[in-house]
Amino acid sequence: MSKKPTVQPALHKVIMVGSGGVGKSALTLQFMYDEFVEDYEPTKADSYRKKILLDGEDVQIDILDTAGQEDYAAIRDHYFRSGEGFLCIFSITEDESFQATQEFREQILRVKNDENIPFLLVGNKCDLEDKRKVSFQEASERARQWGVPYVETSAKTREHVDKVFFDLMREIRARKMEENKANNGRGKDRKKKSIKCVIL
Amino acid sequence: MVPPPVVTGLSPNDGPPGTRITIRGENFGTKATDLVGNLMRINQFKSNTEWKSPSKIIAISGPGKGLGDVIVSTKVGGVGTCNVKFKGYKNENIGPMKDSAVWVEETSFYPWDRHSLSSSSFQQDDPLGLSVEGTERKLSEDDLNEKFPSASGDITSENFSACWFLLENHLATSFNDLQAGLLHLKRKVEGQKEGHLSFLKTNVGAVMDQVDTLILLKEKYGSDLDEFGSEPTLKLEKAIKESEREARKLYDDVLTRRDRAEKTRNALNVLSRFKFLFCLPCSIDRNIKKGDYDIVINDYMRVKNLFLKRDIPVFKMALNEIERCIVGIKKQLHVKLVKMPIHVDEQKRLIRYLINLDSSFEPAWDAINGHADYLHSRMKQCYEEHKAAIVEDLNKSKNSNLSSKYSKFAAMHDTNHCPQNVFYVEEMCDIISELFPDIWKLGQSYFTGELHVKVEPGHKTAFKHTVLNIMEVFCKRLRAAIIPHSLDRNTDRNTYEAWTLPDIDVMAVYLPDCLRYVRLSYAILVKLDLPSDALDIVLAFISDLRIHCMCVLFKKTTDNIKRLSKQEKWKVEVSGSHNGITDLPLNFENAVQDLIQVIAESVLKSEAREGPLGESTSSKRIRQTGSSDDDDDDEIRSPIVSQLIGTPSFVYRSRTHNQKPAWEHRLLMTLANCQYTMNAVLKNIVEAFSKNGYNISPNIIRKSRTDLENLERSILESYLEQKSDPLVGTIEPSMYLGRFDWDTNITPTDLRPYAKECINNLIHVHFEVNSISSKLVDSVLPQVVQTIAEELYRLMSCVQKFSTAGIQQAHVDISALQEFFQGYSTPKAKDHFKEAMELIPPLKQPDLTIVEDILQKCRTKMRLQVLCLQKS
Repeated sequence: MSKKPTVQPALHKVIMVGSGGVGKSALTLQFMYDEFVEDYEPTKADSYRKKILLDGEDVQIDILDTAGQEDYAAIRDHYFRSGEGFLCIFSITEDESFQATQEFREQILRVKNDENIPFLLVGNKCDLEDKRKVSFQEASERARQWGVPYVETSAKTREHVDKVFFDLMREIRARKMEENKANNGRGKDRKKKSIKCVIL
Repeated sequence: MVPPPVVTGLSPNDGPPGTRITIRGENFGTKATDLVGNLMRINQFKSNTEWKSPSKIIAISGPGKGLGDVIVSTKVGGVGTCNVKFKGYKNENIGPMKDSAVWVEETSFYPWDRHSLSSSSFQQDDPLGLSVEGTERKLSEDDLNEKFPSASGDITSENFSACWFLLENHLATSFNDLQAGLLHLKRKVEGQKEGHLSFLKTNVGAVMDQVDTLILLKEKYGSDLDEFGSEPTLKLEKAIKESEREARKLYDDVLTRRDRAEKTRNALNVLSRFKFLFCLPCSIDRNIKKGDYDIVINDYMRVKNLFLKRDIPVFKMALNEIERCIVGIKKQLHVKLVKMPIHVDEQKRLIRYLINLDSSFEPAWDAINGHADYLHSRMKQCYEEHKAAIVEDLNKSKNSNLSSKYSKFAAMHDTNHCPQNVFYVEEMCDIISELFPDIWKLGQSYFTGELHVKVEPGHKTAFKHTVLNIMEVFCKRLRAAIIPHSLDRNTDRNTYEAWTLPDIDVMAVYLPDCLRYVRLSYAILVKLDLPSDALDIVLAFISDLRIHCMCVLFKKTTDNIKRLSKQEKWKVEVSGSHNGITDLPLNFENAVQDLIQVIAESVLKSEAREGPLGESTSSKRIRQTGSSDDDDDDEIRSPIVSQLIGTPSFVYRSRTHNQKPAWEHRLLMTLANCQYTMNAVLKNIVEAFSKNGYNISPNIIRKSRTDLENLERSILESYLEQKSDPLVGTIEPSMYLGRFDWDTNITPTDLRPYAKECINNLIHVHFEVNSISSKLVDSVLPQVVQTIAEELYRLMSCVQKFSTAGIQQAHVDISALQEFFQGYSTPKAKDHFKEAMELIPPLKQPDLTIVEDILQKCRTKMRLQVLCLQKS
């Protein structure tokens, strides 16, 4: 059981959220294994982890692919707590899934209690342009309101699939570095304080 | 060395024992047998693992609890590593009343299930006996792990930690409850310590109840044994078996019925889906009845495109059915196509259908052949019909001949009857002009590809041969009917039985009609743009027919003219320019003019029209016709001549008949006719011929003219013979009448009577001729005068001795005759007179005056006679 990796690379925990059937698992599997799964099988909760090279740096990405169905809404809180970044997926061919992103966003903010949590709004199935129900403007408008990027992807053609994951990881990394700095700063402050205390 | 397998993904990442997990990662081996097993928590299992691909396997989770690695090991890669962890959790008994965040697997299929349930010691659910609901807030396993490293909440574990257990299971339990739980636990432990006795003590009531029940059961069982025998369950078993069988039967029954229903439904589905296919034979029949072959063909094509490549037996069956139908249609269409008579457009349509239906035979070619055969058969049929009609006519005419003895009308009717040959020709022409264009059009559209058929290479010549053959047969049949002599003696006579030709008179009436029929057909053929060799056959026939027609017409006219003579009525027509002619020459002229008219209308007129068709051939033909006409012309002329010559002999014979004019008169009339014919009629005829474009050779005209002249001369001679012989004969006897001698002494006082008689006779002839025709006078009288002069000369030369008075008398006579006949004297006559004068010895002057005196007296005396003989 003794698992002692010499230099454990940074681990970024990504959580896929979104309504059922929008393509969370498809995106994940495309990113992880370069395969496109045609048949639909509702996910309960899947874990994926692999080493990747992010801007020349070895990192590990841990993807939690969650269930989109409302049946699992009760246990989402538990998942969200462990997430460091979120990909909020909807299908451009289904307006309902787009409306549901609002709910997901609110839930995440409530659980994480952090307005600036790394978050990407992703419109999937952009290869089905002829069946589009959610316009690009509409989606970008919402993303702008939330202050997050909006990307359109296609798990089928792998368009922008890598981009969303990498973008999110960069945000997570930037965020972590910021936190580290803040922690260090606080530590220093605390030190100074304690010193001060000593002096006092 | 193959790298060890790495697990990078789990789906799902948690679940109770027995969860089906999709494991993804790398190096899971290249085939199913490479997999040794996967290690999940403490359970090693391979039997529940399914290898999908080198990056994917599917496994069932074991009965572990808590977080654990999922390790995959392969034969070549050995034991692998794991990036993601699986969290197994206890299989909580989630009742129907309890909320659950996850899907509850109701089927407990895993093999250890029963064991875990039966073994209460393996997993003590609730050692404190507090029966807490599991839904309360829990500390996460991670937290517990952090707090109690190297410890476990598992009771059975060696490093069991009570704190962990309490925190995990009784986080929300109140202290009192926990105390109660402790008591419970203590009691249990104590109970175990006290052993069975204490257990019995505490449960004595229940034990007693159980014993009572057991006794009761035994008694009951004993009584049942007595009643039902040693095997009480046998019957039951049997019944159960029976019912099971029944149930199975029922089940099977239902199943089979369901199957059948399913099958029926499927069949119905298929039927309705492929209604089009299955209904096609029906609709084909319906459409055929309606005649909508287009629809049929369209449907057939569609079906063929849709279903031909499918291997489904039902479709094949249906297709076979349709194919059979179509074959039937094809046959039907083909029969229709070959069945005559049929319009060419209809036929074209049928051909198109057949081609669309991919017919095995060649519809267009068959149609052409069918047409040709039909044409031949029609011609044959026509031939036979008319042959039969002829036979019938023959029979009838035999009968009528028999009966004609009794009724003249029947015989008359028979001769006026139009010959069957003509009907035959007419009908043949109708047939060819009706049917042949169809063949030709069909052939043209076949060869120009209008019918969308590939033209067989040999067919072009075959078609040409067919066309030529038709033409040949057509012409030969007609030849056999009208001009059998033009058939080739050896070959054709046998195949085309020559017809018995009707009388030439009858034929002549109808031949132009026949020619016209043939011409009409030929015009139609010409319009069709036939090849020239086909047209040539007909053209040759037409020209033969024309020649024949012309021959017949000429012959008929000749016969008619011959017969004209018999109709001579000897009635003198007095016309302005020509006196003394009968209607004979006029009739002749009319007949010839009529002939020319008919020929011009039928034969010659078209010559010009057809001329351009083939310059060389037609010109040759014209020459041919021309040459044959020459013969005909000769033939025409000769009878005229013979007729006119024959007239005198006829006249001789009819001399005794009183009602006819005197034969001398008739001779004169004939002479007048002859002259008229020569001068007027011949010119008119020649003119008429040339006006109608008929070149008559000058030879013929010359010959005719000479013939006529000869005739005239001979008539004239015979007339002169008739007239001058007695006249001349009387001179000598009357000269020497009364023993007159030129050596006389009586001085002459007047003309001798012989001279007067001579003058009177001549005047009589003059009157006779003049009464018929004054024109003839000039040609007749001089001849008479000449013979008189000649006779005189002969008589004078016979005189041995002249006295002076005789000399005077001779001088007076001859001079008077010479003078009186001055107007009609030919040079020869004058010579004779002069010679006669010279024979007489010359007179002396006083004697001459005496002669002059006598002559002077005579002139005054015979003034009337002189006037008669003077030219007007």
